[in-house]
Amino acid sequence: MGETVGVEGKREELHSLRAELRDQRREAEEKERQLQRYASDLRDTFKAERAQAEDLRANYVATVRALTNAVEARDAYTGAHADRVASYGLELTRRIDPKLAHNPQVEFGFLLHDVGKVAIPDGILHKADDLREDEQALMRRHPVIGWEIVRGIEFLAEAAQIVRHHHERWDGGGYPDGLAGEAIPLAARIFSVVDTLDAMTTDRPYRPGAPLAQARTEIRGMAGTQFDPAVVDALDAIPDEPLERIRTRSR
Amino acid sequence: MRSVLIVDDDPFILKLIATTLEDVAGFELAQAPDGIQALEVAKLTSPELVFLDLDMPRLDGFAVCRRLREEPRTADATIVMLTAAAGDAVEREAEEAGADLFLTKPFSPLELLRLVDELGGSPAAAGH
Repeated sequence: MGETVGVEGKREELHSLRAELRDQRREAEEKERQLQRYASDLRDTFKAERAQAEDLRANYVATVRALTNAVEARDAYTGAHADRVASYGLELTRRIDPKLAHNPQVEFGFLLHDVGKVAIPDGILHKADDLREDEQALMRRHPVIGWEIVRGIEFLAEAAQIVRHHHERWDGGGYPDGLAGEAIPLAARIFSVVDTLDAMTTDRPYRPGAPLAQARTEIRGMAGTQFDPAVVDALDAIPDEPLERIRTRSR
Repeated sequence: MRSVLIVDDDPFILKLIATTLEDVAGFELAQAPDGIQALEVAKLTSPELVFLDLDMPRLDGFAVCRRLREEPRTADATIVMLTAAAGDAVEREAEEAGADLFLTKPFSPLELLRLVDELGGSPAAAGH
């Protein structure tokens, strides 16, 4: 009799232990499912945020393009100048400071360098003869005007520095601030080299573009006066092929 | 298809990471529950990113990491070591085995997401 109770008791005990185990397992599964839900929600939030960031970036680019087009629309021959200069500039920047090349503001600054020319009258901008002194003074204000146009836009704050300083010279003889050497932002020092490169190698109504080799030699000759010698060295290290590709491509 | 490999002997962690990273940057997610299987899966999928648990039976994370580095298809993969135990010695050994990154559990799911996203080539990372 007592034995029967013992077996029964053990059986009951086992039964309740099993039930408890089942409950615990169910609870653990529930927690796991809950945690998985957290993970998937986090992932979806991440993806949504990423998509928004991409939208924002695309809008930045479109805005910069619109501003660039506003400048170039007035000046038929510059055409793809801003595009080419930006490509040369990025190619060169990647070799000097890859991290800087990743900063989208650098490309924006390259593209927008002449945005201040919107304030220069057609008569001066398109004048075939040499500019009078007062006209030249006005023309030389375009970096500051451009800087004033874009500096208030947060995503262009660094680009504004390139716009302002793209006519400075390594020896301090440039404008508007007469900065010299490394006081000139690196991106602006890079820009002034590729701006000259593009000006020399592009066909103009009154002369054909110079061959790349000739442009390289002339730029080399201005290292240390107009240009940062280190930037000129970096340009020399770039083979012809990628530069020719930029020069000859159509928009 | 480009793939990411997740290796952990805890099936829950495996599932949790897989859920977090599912469909984030167009990678196929491969999984392995131990070191030996990790190497087999890696041979088939040539993962570009590997999340690798350190403490596993059969073959631990260090050994798996070294073998992945010897194998040409995974020599350049980004290998992220996951471990419960932090410490300079462990980190140094992970580095010597060829790990690129070392994350202590509980790791941040956002960090995993960012790693996958960067590798997937967000516009900023892809350059111009």
